[in-house]
Amino acid sequence: MTLFLVKRLIMLAATLLVAAVVVFFVLEILPGDPALVMLGVSAQADTLAALRAEMGLDLPAWQRFTNWIGGVVTGELGRSYTYDVPVSELIGERVVVSLPLAVMALTLSTVIAIPLGVIAASRHNRTTDIALTGAAQIGIAISNFWFAILLILLFSVTLRWVPAGGFAGWDAGFWPAIQSLLLPAIALALPQAAILTRVTRSSVLEVLQEDFVRTARAKGLSRRAALWRHAVRNALIPVITILGLQFSFLLAGTIIIENVFYLPGLGRLLFQAIAQRDLIVVKDLVVLLAGTVVVVNFVVDLGYAVLDPRLRSGGGHV
Amino acid sequence: MTLLAIENLCVELDGPDGTLRLLDDVNLFLSKGRCLGLVGESGCGKSMTALAIMGLLPRGMRASGRILLEGEDLLSIGEDRLCGLRGRKMAMVFQEPMTALNPVVPIGRQVAEGLRLHLGLTRHEAELRAGKMLARVGLPVERFPLGLFPHQLSGGQRQRVVIAMALTCGPDLLVADEPTTALDVTVQAQILDLIAELVEEFDMGLVLITHDLGVVAESTDTMSVMYAGKVVEDGPTDEVFQRMAHPYTRGLFAAMPSHSSDLDATRKRLTTIPGRVPDASSRPSGCPFVARCSFATDQCSDAPPPLERLAHRHSASCFNLSRVEGL
Repeated sequence: MTLFLVKRLIMLAATLLVAAVVVFFVLEILPGDPALVMLGVSAQADTLAALRAEMGLDLPAWQRFTNWIGGVVTGELGRSYTYDVPVSELIGERVVVSLPLAVMALTLSTVIAIPLGVIAASRHNRTTDIALTGAAQIGIAISNFWFAILLILLFSVTLRWVPAGGFAGWDAGFWPAIQSLLLPAIALALPQAAILTRVTRSSVLEVLQEDFVRTARAKGLSRRAALWRHAVRNALIPVITILGLQFSFLLAGTIIIENVFYLPGLGRLLFQAIAQRDLIVVKDLVVLLAGTVVVVNFVVDLGYAVLDPRLRSGGGHV
Repeated sequence: MTLLAIENLCVELDGPDGTLRLLDDVNLFLSKGRCLGLVGESGCGKSMTALAIMGLLPRGMRASGRILLEGEDLLSIGEDRLCGLRGRKMAMVFQEPMTALNPVVPIGRQVAEGLRLHLGLTRHEAELRAGKMLARVGLPVERFPLGLFPHQLSGGQRQRVVIAMALTCGPDLLVADEPTTALDVTVQAQILDLIAELVEEFDMGLVLITHDLGVVAESTDTMSVMYAGKVVEDGPTDEVFQRMAHPYTRGLFAAMPSHSSDLDATRKRLTTIPGRVPDASSRPSGCPFVARCSFATDQCSDAPPPLERLAHRHSASCFNLSRVEGL
């Protein structure tokens, strides 16, 4: 187990390093000079040079890379060009929007998808199954930003239940804050739930063919009891994998959804930072998001061991 | 006393090319405390019969006829009642111990599950009894803690767990579907002995499905030879072994390696039955064995031969019984 952990941690660090290199050099290739953006196109050449020197932009690329990485490792993320505050402060402000949003969306999609998938499988090829599979197919086909606009039209414009956008802030109280995150979370969750429902369904269908389900029935368990007590836990192992993969799509989705709903989250920060050539913010955010994905996948690997005793160490024949 | 009586059991499956008859008019009979051997090639309907008894036929298959367990017709009672009987009155041991156990549930809990379900025991009581049962089948708790998972056991040990699981509520009928086929030869004998011991100890009836005639000779009182979904010969085991009335039964015996010390006999090539079991979709209208039978006449292709009584309780379905026996 320790060896497994060490291996995974090395992998984690390596993945992050590669992500950092890629984002750094992609931004290097892209046109756009942050100093020019800050000063405007009419800036004097010497003022520009002075600012570039102050920002460290005149240094060779490898030196700027090592400076940046060194900063990231020691927790010194640099200073935003446009906001003129430490990037860590910016991220801190925004993460309290994005993290609850992602967690809500992930919870929502899991809570919807797993029972629906199991039910569809248990009613294989019958009306319920066909209806659920059809709905899931539509859910997969819908893009989340379009779906988000539909939600706004219905629940905000027509029914006036929840605000159409913006974030009340946690200072306004727990409930108003949750309310402003509810629609974005649903918009993010439903397409994910559709995929997850299909995965759960096919996984459960596969497990239901296994001998041990028949053994459970031979013991006297009803179809339903054999399904929930014996089949589902085995079926969740591949579902967990997809859940981990989906998390990265969820993060990508927040960038779009936060823009649709005007939520001051990390996704919107990233989007604005790219538009304003606030490169240090872009770099830090990308590494942060990559790090989150890698950590989530790591947690998923640990989840396997919880679900499947065969993956725990200390096994072997007696 | 009659424990199990199967009367005119048919199992049908609706396929794209019409209805397939997988079991055709099967009749079986088992007294309490006795052992019935069910013999035949793969695909002859042995396992199908076992699943029909347990009420666990795959979806889409329809069973008709009667399956009487102590007089109660299993085909006409509801699913709830069947759930109450499975594991309590009748239990099953499966062919593949490697896949018959849930890989993510500890063995103690898998054995205890039936006890909690049928006898309403608490978790603690059930696990205590599960431990005793596991010890009885040769897995004492000291060496095999209840918390072990199936993957930590060998094939033979897993089959012992499956047996413990089947017997924990003291069923009257045990259906064992090729319980040793997947095991090493050395382990096979141990498992068969264990089953035989337990059957006697618990005074159960045993339906033993196998294709191993040696096993049948050793452990069964009566036997039924199945071919292509039908019973072609049945009777007391020693009588069937002696007379081998049906050509298919003869074929099975001839295909069995002999252990005789006669060198000439052991050097001879094994006889095989030519051809294959006809698929359920392409069974002939007459005797199902007609295409592979060396005794076949025109009559055999026209209509299926009826089961003919040869002696008290011994019968076979063949038009040419006298010619076969005349050999």
